[in-house]
Amino acid sequence: MLPASTHGLPIRWSRALRTGRVTTACLVMILACGCTKRGSQPSPPDQPPPPALVSDEDAAAAAPSTERRVLLQGARVMTAAGVIYPTGDVLVEGDRIAAVGAHVTAPDDATVVDLRGKVITPGLIDTHSHLGVYASPGFSAHADGNEATAPVTPGMRAGDAVWPQDPGLERARAGGVTTMQILPGSANLIGGRSVVIKPYPGLRSLEDARFDAAPPGLKMACGENPKRVYGDKGGPSTRMGNVSGYRKAFQQAVEYRRSWQRYRDEQARWEAKQHARRVGEDEDHEDEGKDEDKGKDDLPPVPPTHDEALETLVGVLDGEILVHMHCYRADEMSLMMDLARGFGFRIRSFHHAVEAYKIADRLAERDVSASVWADWWGFKAEAYDGIRENAAMVSAAGGRAIIHSDSPHGIQRLNQEAAKALFAGRRMGLSLSDDEALRWITANPAWALGVDREVGTLEDGKRADLVVWSGDPWSVYTRAEQVFIDGRVVYDVAWGTEQPRSDFEVGPGDGDLRRPEAPAVFPPRGHDGGKEVSR
Amino acid sequence: MIQLQLRPRPLRLRLPLAALVLAVVTLVLLGAGSASRAAPASARATRTSRSPARTPQVLPLPFDRAEGDAVFLVGARIHVGDGTIIEDGVVELRGARIAAVGGSDRMSAIPAEATRIDLAGKLLTPGIIAAHTQLGLVEIDLEGSTVDAERNGGSPVRAGYDASMAINADSSLIQVSAIEGITSAAVTPRGGLLSGQVAWIDLLAGDHRGIVARPRIAAAGQLGHALAGSRAEAFAGLLEVLDDARFYRDRRTAHERRELRDLAAHRLDLDALGSVLDGQVPLVVYADRASDLLALAELAKSTGMRVAVVGGAQGWKVADALAEADIPVIVQPSANLPDSLDQIGARMDNAALLHQAGARVGIAVLGEAHNVRNVTQEAGIAVANGLPAEVALRAVTLELARIYGMDDHYGSIAPGKVANLVIWDGDPFELSQWPVAVWVRGQPIPMRSRQTLLRDRYRVLDRFGEDRDE
Repeated sequence: MLPASTHGLPIRWSRALRTGRVTTACLVMILACGCTKRGSQPSPPDQPPPPALVSDEDAAAAAPSTERRVLLQGARVMTAAGVIYPTGDVLVEGDRIAAVGAHVTAPDDATVVDLRGKVITPGLIDTHSHLGVYASPGFSAHADGNEATAPVTPGMRAGDAVWPQDPGLERARAGGVTTMQILPGSANLIGGRSVVIKPYPGLRSLEDARFDAAPPGLKMACGENPKRVYGDKGGPSTRMGNVSGYRKAFQQAVEYRRSWQRYRDEQARWEAKQHARRVGEDEDHEDEGKDEDKGKDDLPPVPPTHDEALETLVGVLDGEILVHMHCYRADEMSLMMDLARGFGFRIRSFHHAVEAYKIADRLAERDVSASVWADWWGFKAEAYDGIRENAAMVSAAGGRAIIHSDSPHGIQRLNQEAAKALFAGRRMGLSLSDDEALRWITANPAWALGVDREVGTLEDGKRADLVVWSGDPWSVYTRAEQVFIDGRVVYDVAWGTEQPRSDFEVGPGDGDLRRPEAPAVFPPRGHDGGKEVSR
Repeated sequence: MIQLQLRPRPLRLRLPLAALVLAVVTLVLLGAGSASRAAPASARATRTSRSPARTPQVLPLPFDRAEGDAVFLVGARIHVGDGTIIEDGVVELRGARIAAVGGSDRMSAIPAEATRIDLAGKLLTPGIIAAHTQLGLVEIDLEGSTVDAERNGGSPVRAGYDASMAINADSSLIQVSAIEGITSAAVTPRGGLLSGQVAWIDLLAGDHRGIVARPRIAAAGQLGHALAGSRAEAFAGLLEVLDDARFYRDRRTAHERRELRDLAAHRLDLDALGSVLDGQVPLVVYADRASDLLALAELAKSTGMRVAVVGGAQGWKVADALAEADIPVIVQPSANLPDSLDQIGARMDNAALLHQAGARVGIAVLGEAHNVRNVTQEAGIAVANGLPAEVALRAVTLELARIYGMDDHYGSIAPGKVANLVIWDGDPFELSQWPVAVWVRGQPIPMRSRQTLLRDRYRVLDRFGEDRDE
C-alpha cells in the first residue's frame, strides 16, 4: 500500500517513503491527510485544505462509506468524558470520531496505527489567547489587541486584527492546542468580540481558521487595567467608574433593543394595516374616501439606526454572545455576577480570576467558569492573592475550572500548567482525578466557548481533534507527537525541521520546532508523589 | 527668620570664594586637557599589562560561626550538583555548613547520640539558585512604591546601584520561592546599560540582618538596540565607561583635586566597576543577538574581564565562540519565540546545543521574580529538549554559583559549603514534585508561605455563611 500512497505527495515525503524512513508518525500523517473529500489526494503539511472541507455541510454530505478511516490502537486513552482506558482505541472516520473504547473493531478498510505506549487526549483548548493580535515579534506595529481610544468598544472584533502569520500559532499547535479563543486586550471595559479558531497550518487569512460552530464571545474587563488606561484620558479612573461604565453600556443596549422592538411592533401594525386596507379595497370599492388618514398611514415606520456596538451588547442580553470577563478579585467577580443578573445575562467565564478560590461555591452555584493560570501572581495588586491551588479548589467545589494561557509561551504547554495545578490540589488533600484535570484544558474550555457539542472530549460523533502524547501528559518530559484537527494531522514531531511554519520565519528566522528523542530523566526511586501512568 | 540671620555670612564670603572657584576651575581645565590626551594610551596599557586575578578569594560569609552539634542526613540518594550521585548518602552538617559528605560506609562513623534524620528513599539536591532575578527588590510589579529594582532616570550607567541595600527580607516572594526549593538568589538590579551591583542572598524570610550573604558579587548590565537608540552606540557606551573606570581608578587623587577631564559616568558608578576590571567579579550582561554575544566574548578576551551572558537566545548560533572564550550563558529554555528580532531563531534546545558545543550553561526564570520557583520546570524543559539531566541540575545549582563566583560556598553538596539543601520524593524537575523539606544555612525552614496561608483560610467556604442570594 505504501507505493500507491506516494502519488501526489510532496517530494520530501515521497523520498522519505522510498528511502524507507517511514515512521508511524509519517504514516499517520499520510493516512489522515487522506481523510478529506479529496480522497486520495493527501495534502502536504504546508498546504491545508480550504476551510470548506471541514465545515458541517461537508461533514454531513460526505458519505461514511467513502471516508478514510484510521484506527488509533493500543494507547492510553483519556477521554475527558469520565473514562480513561489504560489501553484503548480511537476510530477516526473523516473529520469525526466514530468510536472510542477499550476495543474497537477496525472496519475492513481502516488503517490501523499501533500507538502502544502513547497517550491520546482530546485536543487542548485555550479560552484566552492574544496570538495574532499581540503577535511575535512584539513590534509596536503588531499591537492590535486594544482599541484604547474609548473604554467601551463592543463594536470591535478581534477577528478583524488577527495576523495569521504569528509564529506563535504554530508553536501552540505543536503543544497540542486545537481550538483557541483570541480575545481583544483588557484595556477597555468592553473591548469587543473574540474569535474562536483552529490553528491550521498555512493560513492566508483568519477565515481559513475560523471555527464556524463557535458562537461569538465578548471581552470585558474589570479592575485595574481600564482605570489605569483611562485614568488620564477622561475616565474611568476608579472601580466606581468601571462599574458605572458597564451599567451605562448595557442600559443603552436595553433601550436600543426596546427601540428596535418598538419599530418592529410599529412595522407589524403598519403591515397589518396595509394588508387590511388592501383587502378592504379589493372587497369594498364603494367605500372610497371613507378612510381620511389614508395618506398618513402609507408611510412605513422609520427603523432605528443600526449600531454594531449595541447589536453586540443586545446579543449578550439575548444570550447569543458569551461574555468572557477579565476579573481578578473575588469581590469584583461577585459584583459582576450580580450586575449581569440585573440585566438578565450570564457571564460565561471569568478570566484570570486569581481569587476564584475565595468564591468557588458561588461560581459553582451560578455555573460560571473560571479561566485561570496555574501560578501567575503578584504582578499587580489585584493579582497579589494568587495561589497554586486556585483551579483545584474551584474544581473541587463543583465549579468549571479552566487553565488558560494568556501567553504565547503558556499556550505551548497547557498540559504542564494543568499538571502543576492538579498536583498542588492533590497535595492539599483534594481528591482530583486525571480525567477531571484533563477537563480543565479540554471539555471545560469547550463549554466556555460554546463548542462543547463539537469538541472537548473523545466521544463518538465529536470532531476528531486529538493529541497523541509521548507519555503521561502531566510530565514535563512529555511532548505532543501528533496533533489532529478535524481528522487531519496538523503537527507531527517526525516532520522535524520541516514543520509547516509562518511566512515570518521563512529565511533567516530559523526558529525551531524540532525536539530530540525522548530524554534521559532522573531515575525515580522511592517515587511516591503523583500517580503512576503506564507508558 | 532663619534667612535673616544667615544672610550676612554668605555676603561676606562671596568674594574670596569666587576667586577660589575661578582658580580651581582653571587648574582643572588645564589638568583635564592634558589628562584626556593621555587617556587612550594609558587605557590601552592598562588593558594589556594587567593580568586579572581570576580566582575569587575564599572569604568567610557574615553568618559563619563555629556552633552547633552535628546533624546527620542519612540514606538519601545525593545528587551532588557537580554531576555525581551518591547512593545511600550521609551528609554531616555543623552550624550553617556541610562538614562532611559520603556514602553508606560513613554510617558506622555516626555517633550514637548524634541527631540523625532518616531520608531513605528520598533525593537530596543542593538548594536551587535563582539567577538574575529581582527577588527581594519587587513585591508588586505595577506598584512603584513596592519596587526597588532600579535607579530611575538619569544616566544609563548605574553600576553603583547596590541591590544589597534594597532587599526586603519580609517580601512574600521569598518564602513563596523558598518552600519550592529556591535557597539562594543572585539579586540583580535592572535597567540602563549598566544596572548595578548584584547581591547574593539566602532565602531566609524575615532575617533582615542576615539575608544578604555577600553584596556586590557581580555587576549587571544589558545590551541591545533599545538602550542608546543604536546597538553600536550601546556597545561603544559600555567600552567608554569601562575605559573611564580604569582611567578614574588610576587617577582618583587627580579627580578629587578636580584635575581630570569629564568622565563618562559618576565617580561612584566608575568606582563600582573596579572589581569587574580586576576580574574579581563578573560582568553579567543580558543580551540575545549573536553579534552582541560575539562582542562580549571579544571584550572578555581583550580585557581579561569575566563576562557572563544572560538570555542568549541566539547563543546556539555562536556556541563555539562562547565556549572558546569561556563565556557562560544563563538561558530560559522555554523561550522559543522571537519576542524581538534579537531573538529570531530562539529555540528550546538552546541549552542542549550550547552544552554540546562545550559552553557552560545556567538556567533561570528571567524577568519574573514572582515565579522563580518554576526554574525546575525550565530545567525539565531543557532536559526534554536534549540537555542531560545532571547537567540541567548543575545548571540551576553549581554552574550558577560558579558564574557568580560563589562556588566556594554554594552550588553543590560538598564539605565546607553552606548547608542549603532540598529533600525530594522524586525527580525535582517533574511537575508532580515539591520539596519534602528545605534547609537553608543548616536549618529546615517552615514550609509555609503567604500563599499556603491564604489557601488554608479559604479551604472551607462554609464558614463564610450562606450566599446571600439563596
